[in-house]
Amino acid sequence: MLDLHGYGPAIFMGAVLTIEVAFLSLLVALVLGLLGAVAKLSPYAPLRFIATVYTTVIRGVPDLVLMLLIFYGLQIGMNTLSDWIYERFDYDFFINIDEFVAGVLTIGFIFGAYMSETFRGAFLAVDKGQIEAGIAYGMNKGKVFRRIMFPQMMRHALPGLSNNWLVLLKTTALVSLIGLTDMTRLAKEASASTHEPFVFFVPVAAIYLLITIVSEVGFKAVEKKYSVGVVRG
Amino acid sequence: MKKILIALAGVLAITTMSVQAADWSVVRLGVDATYPPFESKDANGKLVGFEVELGEAVCKEMGVTCEWVVQDWDGIIPGLLARKYDAIFSSMSINPERAEQVLFTEPYYTTPSGWFAKKSSSYNATDLATLAGARVGVQRGTIQDSYASDKLAGKATIVRYTAADEIVIDLFAGRLDLVLIDVPVGEDLLAGDTRGGDFGLLGSFVLGDGAAAALRKRDTDLADMMNKALRTVKSNGVFDAIRVKYFSYDIKM
Repeated sequence: MLDLHGYGPAIFMGAVLTIEVAFLSLLVALVLGLLGAVAKLSPYAPLRFIATVYTTVIRGVPDLVLMLLIFYGLQIGMNTLSDWIYERFDYDFFINIDEFVAGVLTIGFIFGAYMSETFRGAFLAVDKGQIEAGIAYGMNKGKVFRRIMFPQMMRHALPGLSNNWLVLLKTTALVSLIGLTDMTRLAKEASASTHEPFVFFVPVAAIYLLITIVSEVGFKAVEKKYSVGVVRG
Repeated sequence: MKKILIALAGVLAITTMSVQAADWSVVRLGVDATYPPFESKDANGKLVGFEVELGEAVCKEMGVTCEWVVQDWDGIIPGLLARKYDAIFSSMSINPERAEQVLFTEPYYTTPSGWFAKKSSSYNATDLATLAGARVGVQRGTIQDSYASDKLAGKATIVRYTAADEIVIDLFAGRLDLVLIDVPVGEDLLAGDTRGGDFGLLGSFVLGDGAAAALRKRDTDLADMMNKALRTVKSNGVFDAIRVKYFSYDIKM
């Protein structure tokens, strides 16, 4: 068995943080992704423009750079404002942007762009006749979305979603850059103090793999739910 | 839906922001805890090392409460400028590039930089010409990196790493011929591995102006407080009492 030199519990706590960050950013990404997809398919040009800028810029810049830019950039911007107030009004204050919230929002913001594209493709895959049938039944736009579009769209979106989720999970390792100690960072600290790097990266890799396997099972179940009524093969 | 989102965003914004005034009753020290024996984390997650103890002593002398903030080295200056902490207390060597961005206190220690390589190698550390064609490992953004980049550019291949322990792993793995790092860190890393016996220190020299705490430029009042406290702990024996726990030789500056 691996000798973790007593760092086991610390790395376990790091795994909890990793899972928290991953799940919450997934929620943010899903909401942003849905909004982005709807905006991209909207008949209003300004909405389409904003959504296109969002997905293009975010998907075109490396996650690492975005993380630094959003987290430190936002804080430095906030500080510039408080410096300005200090100089003008002699009122000194400091607003601290919480690392956890910033990490979740940044990762959510990044993956929202990828989700937008996944959802957009899935929306387009739903047969137009389905929507027309819904309207013919007298459903309003909200009902058509909830009862017809969304359930059918999800079936097409799920493979892409699970893909995005797995990439997102591993992107959470970047949060150490903004001062959060996730399991990758804790493994790094532990290996630095014991000079045994591989001992700590092996359990970390195993935990990532475990989360992956569990979510594969989860996705299978959801896929089954949304494939009801569809004959395969 | 929109209203709910706006309300959520508002709640989030309020709960995550805390307003603090800079009266220095609490000083937050930023540290990258991957640099034993200066700073590292033990199995309980507690910060340990020479610089951690020195930092505590300086805070005690200043009469302030210190909070340690652990931060990755790559983001350590941005974090200071973004006011995630008030001072970097993490073996940061004084150099002109950094001095443009931060305000250094007086230096508190200096350790020689050293060339480490296989004992059987034929490199001569005092004659850089013998290093032609070698693969040299340094930690990115350190004074050793600046030195190697300056002296060996075009002659040897310089490989840059984010952490000192990674450099030594590659030295053991045979992917590097030489490494240039802080002597105590290098010795500590060699001593911590069974393969360390085959490697040794080829030569050492003093590089740079020592390590100091780094502050934001506007916090000159905190710099004055820290300098005063540093001078006191250096002269009243507190510094030496901490030093003998970690080093057999004097590193005071």
